[in-house]
Formats: sequence, structure tokens, C-alpha cells
Amino acid sequence: MMMKSVIGAVVALSLSALPALAEYPEKEIQGIIQWGAGGSTDTVARAITPRAEAVLGGKIVMQNVTGGVGAIGLNQVADADADGYTVLFGAENPLLYKVMKLGDKDYSDFIPINIIARGVPILVANVDAPFNTFPEMVAYINANPKAVKFGSTGPGGLPSVVTAMINAKTPLDVTFIPYDGDGPALTALQGGAIHVMPAVLGAAIEGIKGGTMKPIALFDVEASPQLPDVPTIVSTNPEFADVLPWGPFFGVFVKEGTPDDVVAKLTAAYAEGAKHPDFVSLIDGRGFKMLSLSGEEAETFLNGWQSTTSWLIHDAGLTKASPEEFGIPKP
Amino acid sequence: MDAVNALLIPIFDLQLLGLIALGTFAGIYVGAIPGLSVTMAVSILISFTFTWEVYPALALMIGIYMGGVYGGSRTAILLNIPGAPSAIATALDGFPMAQQGKAGEAIGIVTVVSFIGGFIGIFALALFAPSLADFAIRFQPRDYFLLGVLGILLVGSLSGESLVKGIFSGALGIAIGSVGMDPLTFTERFTFEISGLRAGVSFVAVMIGMFGISEGLMQLHTVNTAAVKQTIGRIVPSWAQVRKHLPLGLQTSSIGTVIGALPGTGGDIAALMAYDHAKRVTKNPEVPFGKGAIEGLVAPETANNAAVGGAFIPMLTLGIPGDAVTAIMIGALFIHGLNPGPLLMTSQPDMFWFIVSSLMLANCFMLIFGLTGIRLFVKIVELPRTVLLPVILLLSIVGAYAVNNSLTDVYWMLGFGVFGYFMKLYGYPLGPVILGVILSRLLDDNWRRAIISDQESLWMLLKGTLASPLSLVLFAAVILIFLSKTPLWGLVFRRKTAA
Repeated sequence: MMMKSVIGAVVALSLSALPALAEYPEKEIQGIIQWGAGGSTDTVARAITPRAEAVLGGKIVMQNVTGGVGAIGLNQVADADADGYTVLFGAENPLLYKVMKLGDKDYSDFIPINIIARGVPILVANVDAPFNTFPEMVAYINANPKAVKFGSTGPGGLPSVVTAMINAKTPLDVTFIPYDGDGPALTALQGGAIHVMPAVLGAAIEGIKGGTMKPIALFDVEASPQLPDVPTIVSTNPEFADVLPWGPFFGVFVKEGTPDDVVAKLTAAYAEGAKHPDFVSLIDGRGFKMLSLSGEEAETFLNGWQSTTSWLIHDAGLTKASPEEFGIPKP
Repeated sequence: MDAVNALLIPIFDLQLLGLIALGTFAGIYVGAIPGLSVTMAVSILISFTFTWEVYPALALMIGIYMGGVYGGSRTAILLNIPGAPSAIATALDGFPMAQQGKAGEAIGIVTVVSFIGGFIGIFALALFAPSLADFAIRFQPRDYFLLGVLGILLVGSLSGESLVKGIFSGALGIAIGSVGMDPLTFTERFTFEISGLRAGVSFVAVMIGMFGISEGLMQLHTVNTAAVKQTIGRIVPSWAQVRKHLPLGLQTSSIGTVIGALPGTGGDIAALMAYDHAKRVTKNPEVPFGKGAIEGLVAPETANNAAVGGAFIPMLTLGIPGDAVTAIMIGALFIHGLNPGPLLMTSQPDMFWFIVSSLMLANCFMLIFGLTGIRLFVKIVELPRTVLLPVILLLSIVGAYAVNNSLTDVYWMLGFGVFGYFMKLYGYPLGPVILGVILSRLLDDNWRRAIISDQESLWMLLKGTLASPLSLVLFAAVILIFLSKTPLWGLVFRRKTAA
């Protein structure tokens, strides 16, 4: 009896003493970026992290672990200890892994630290394309079936989702040319190999400003402050309002089960980092929308995104498994 | 006037000058160690130079880039292990030279011609960037496919004695290159439901294994023979020698610049194509190709350094990266608050001229650092095998691990090393394997894009090819080169001379 209470006291003492002994972070943190160097996820992750480090008072070593549509990097963080020393910098793709049969893990196995920003989709065309607006494009495609070439980046990518949105409203008979990313596809667009590309605004904004590509419609409910003259899709086709706003996003995640105090510290650090004026101007300049969501708000955002997108691409026949199998509710 | 001012920025700023020199020096060693790549070094530098001003950050990256592309030749010549894929062709004639005791001479020539190639690439960037970029983005999927076919014809040059064995090796390379998730449709190919195979087989791991480990194993056969004594005479090549190879160097530099400027290809393909070109145009080399021909060093080394200037052409004029390194630099410019795109040259002409000037300086530093210390370096070849071989093994393991921080890559590397050893033993050339891996994506992706673009009709694809001047030229080149390597050509040629 006596012994038991002594042990109890020792345990209680050591438990209460633990956080004070091991002040997080007491060693280098590993940052795993799901996508390659130079891409949007990489740029955003590398730009915000030094700001967050300053608040956190620790060092985060960034590393690109690419492949398998980001699943390799995600699994590496999921296989590490849930101690906050391995942090994932990811994009939207994992939320579609289950329905695309790319993996059995998604962000439900992680705790969101910060959903940093959201991209805005835009439909851009080659400067010589014989149409300037969305209705003109639809009319031209209907008059010339299969002649118009759309760039695509594989099922689940932004182009496939935007195309699924369009097809749900106005089915289009076009030819899809696959590219391994919106960068190469936009290069092909400027060279005339494809005519139209659904891309993220950030990747196309400089080309639009420089006149090397032509904006057709912004897939958002409000115009972009960077390109106020580009019409939104809802201004010509209000029926799109029910699926918008939608866009790819970037976030910082840790494995489920990470101690609350660590999550709180990281969350505070990244929320503060996202406010830095230089980072805000980077996000604005590249045409992204700052979100900086965490906790409950971030969970709601992730669940909503997964539900809308999974069902959208499932109805378009692009999935390998029904969202129902994984309990993803209909929007 | 502004251009002149911007050109002078790095020259009169001691700090910038120092950073370019430091970058170039570090780049040579990063490039020389297989597995450490310029891409890797530059992406680490993005985080490291985050709080710096944009000019110093770029100065350091440019130095690393220029030095790194050159550095790959070091280990290719001394150890038969190319430090980077763009130095594969350099090993073909560089290593035989080292075996003949002429490692110093080989490095000397490589350094000077790399400088010349680098200079021509920068020259093209400074003077013709807008028109070259305009030309480069006009390449359609079928043109990239034809370029890939031209590349695959290089198997003929890389095969050595048996073409059949060369074709087998090339096909093996293409098969290795197609393992993993197909990036166009996300369909798994040759993965056998093993999740580790989804990301494919790391191409650098294959390269290190096939060149590093298999070379080490090969040298075990002669472990007790004394190392070749290196004669260190003249390291800086004579003017007469440089002048002799200058015409070839100019041609291969142009190949390098254009291939570098194409957004879908880089220095590795440029170097191999240049090597093939050299083999075709050099009628009577003093030493046969593959046995230590100087032309076999001049061609790839001018081309891969010319590709550096080339890669900046679409980046600075259109915001389109010419290769993996310039892709990261675009990211760096964004982080530093600049917007690389078609407007960069008009809104910030300083940036353009600053980069031109820094490249020029990095090129000069490369020449200086490259030529000094050669005497020390060639001693590596004179080391006893019992010391050298464990070092090769260690370098190979570290290099393979460093690519993706993955132990799986180390196993692949070791596996391909042993496999490569047996291939060498039975006379199967290894060059075509790497060529196949490099080209498989280029061929596969662009073939599919081309045929889909033409409604999956071969007839329409052929019509399109004949209607476009660019495709027509490439198509004609493919046919001519193919015929020149078959007996048919000799038949036609002889008939002509007879008549």
C-alpha cells in the first residue's frame, strides 16, 4: 500500500516534471515536403518556415521527398514517431488517395497545424485561340468537336477537377493531352501544343500579365485583386456558383497522436509566420488566397474539401473506388 | 547603359565576387561526388540564403551550378564513375586516358573546353535569348519524340563491339525507366503491387551502381597489379591543340545551348548527343573513340557547360525553366519577391544582365580552379587499389543514399552494381542502359502526347510531321543517321562513287 503510493507519487512527479525537462523543440525538426524543389508547395513551405522557426526558437530542416503523387513523403511522416519532430508540408492530393487507390492514409491520420493558403483555378488559352470568353469557347468546341486540345495532369489533379466541374454543367467534346504538371503543360500551351489549360492562377499569372497566354475565366466567385479584369466563371455562367469556391491548398501537418503542447507550439509558430508581411506579399503576388486555418476550422475545411472533390470526380467516373466505401459523405 | 551597369555589379562588389568564387569551388566538388547533385545543393541553398539579398543568393547558386556541371567530369576521368549523368560520355574516353597515364592532360583539356562551351552558352543567352526561347517553346510533342529517337540511335555509338548487346542494354534501360507510377495517368507499371516500386527506380542509383560498384568489382580482377604511373607534363593544353578542336567544340557547344534551352531536355542528353556528333564528324581521330580520343572529351564537356547558359534562356525570357536547376532558381526568385515571367526582362533588365555577368565570372573561376590542383588530383589514380576500392564503395553508398535519403536506393545501387559487373564481364556495354533510362520518359510521354494530339492516327501524325519544318528536319535527321549506321548506306555510297 505504502509502496504503491510512493510509486504513484514518483510517477506523478515525473509526469509533471516532464514538459519542463524536455522543452519542445529540443533538437532539429525534420520538414518533409511532398513535392519537388521549385514547385508551389516547395516555394510556400520554404518561404513560411524561416518565419515560423523564429517564433518557435528551433531549426526545421527541409527536405523534398517526392514520388507516388506525394504518397512517399506522406507515408514517411506517418511512419515516424508522433513527437512533432517530423512535420509534413503537403498539398491537397492526399485527400483523394483513398478514392484513387493511391494509398490508405490521408489527412485524417494527421493533425493540421496550418492550412496556409488556397490556389484559385483559372482557364487559360493559347493567345491565338479563336475564342476569348467561356461562352465563346463552349460554342467553338460544340462547333468543332475533338479539335480543341485541353491539357491535363492525370485523374485527381486540378485540371481533372475543373474539367469535371465543367462537364457536369456543359459536357465538352475535347481531346485531353496529358502532362506531368501544370508547368510543362503551360509551356506546351505557349508553344501551341495544347489550346486550353485549367491551371492554378499562381502558375499562369506572369504569363497572363506578359501576354504569352490568354485568360478565359477565373474559377472563383469573386475577381482576383491581381487580375481584376479577368471575368469570373459565375459572371457568365452563374450555375457554377454551387461548386465554388474551390482550389488546391497547402498545409503543414503532424502525425495523429502528437502531444497537445507540441501541436499548440507549432500552430502558434506557423500562424505567426503566415502573418509576416513578406510572406503575405508572396502569397498575394502569386495569386493565392491566404487561409491560415488551424484546429477545428482546418478540420472542417479538410472534410468539406474531401467531400466536394471526391464526389465531383467520382461522378465524372475518374475514381477507382467510391467515396462511400471510406465514409466520405456526399456534399 | 543600364545593361553595362548591371553587368558590372558582381565584378566590382567584392562580396559578390567572393560568393561566385566560393560557389564555383564548392560546385566542382558537389559535381564530382556521384549522388551529390547541383539540384540538391541549390535547393538546400534556398533555405540557407532565405534572409539574404537576392543578388548574393543568386551569385552563390550560379557559381555552384557552373562549377557542378564541370565537376562531374573529374570522377568520370579519374575513376570511371561519372559524378553526374551529364558526364557519362566523358568517362568513355576520359578514363582510358587516365589508364594510359594521361589523367592530367585529360583534365586540362576538359577544363579548357568546358570554359569555351560555357562561354558560348552565355554568349547565346546574352545576345539571342528572346529568339532562342521563342524557337525552343515551339517544340511540339512529336518533335520531342523525334529528338528522343535521335537520342536512342546513340546506342550505336555507345555499344562498342556488339550492336546487338548494345540494343539489349538500351532496351533494359528503357524498361527500368518505365517502372513506377506513370505520371500521365497515375497507372502503375511493372510495380507488381509492391508499394516501394511506385516511385520507380532512382535513376541516379542505377547510374552509381552500374558505374561505381561494377567498376570497383572489375578492378578487383587486377587488384595486385601496380597502379598506372601518371605522367604529368603539360596540363594546360597548347594553343595548337585547342585550335585543332575548336571547330568541333563550336558545333557541340551549339548543340548544348539549344538542347539546354529546350524545356524538356538538359545537359545529360546534350552531352550524349554531342559525343555522337563528334564520332560522326571526326573522320580520323588520332586515337580511336573509346580508347582515349580527345574529341570524345571535347564534345560532351563543351555541350554540357553550354547547356547551362541555354537553360537560363527560357527561364529569363519567359519564366519557363530550361532544366531542374533553373526550376529551383525560379522558386528562389519568387521567395525573394521577384516574379520571373515574360515581363522580367522589361521590368527588371538588371536581373538579366546580373545573371549573365555572374555566369561569366563563374565560368572564369571554373577555369582557374579547374586548372589548379590537378597534380594533386591525379594522385588519386596512383593510389593502391586496396585503398581506392573501399573509397569507391563508400562514395557509391553515400551517393546513392543522399539522392532521396532512402536506404532502398542503396539496395538498388548495390544490385545494379553487381548486375552491371556481370554485364561488363560478358561484354554488354553499360552506357546504353543509362541512355535508355534517361530517354524512356522523353520518348514514352511525348509519343503518347503526339499520337493523342493527332486523334490516335499514324497517318495524321506523319502528315503533321511533314507539314512542320522543324519536325521535318528532325525526321530527316533520324532517317539519315539511321541509314548511315546500316549496311544500306555503304551500298548506296559505294554505288555513287562507282558511278
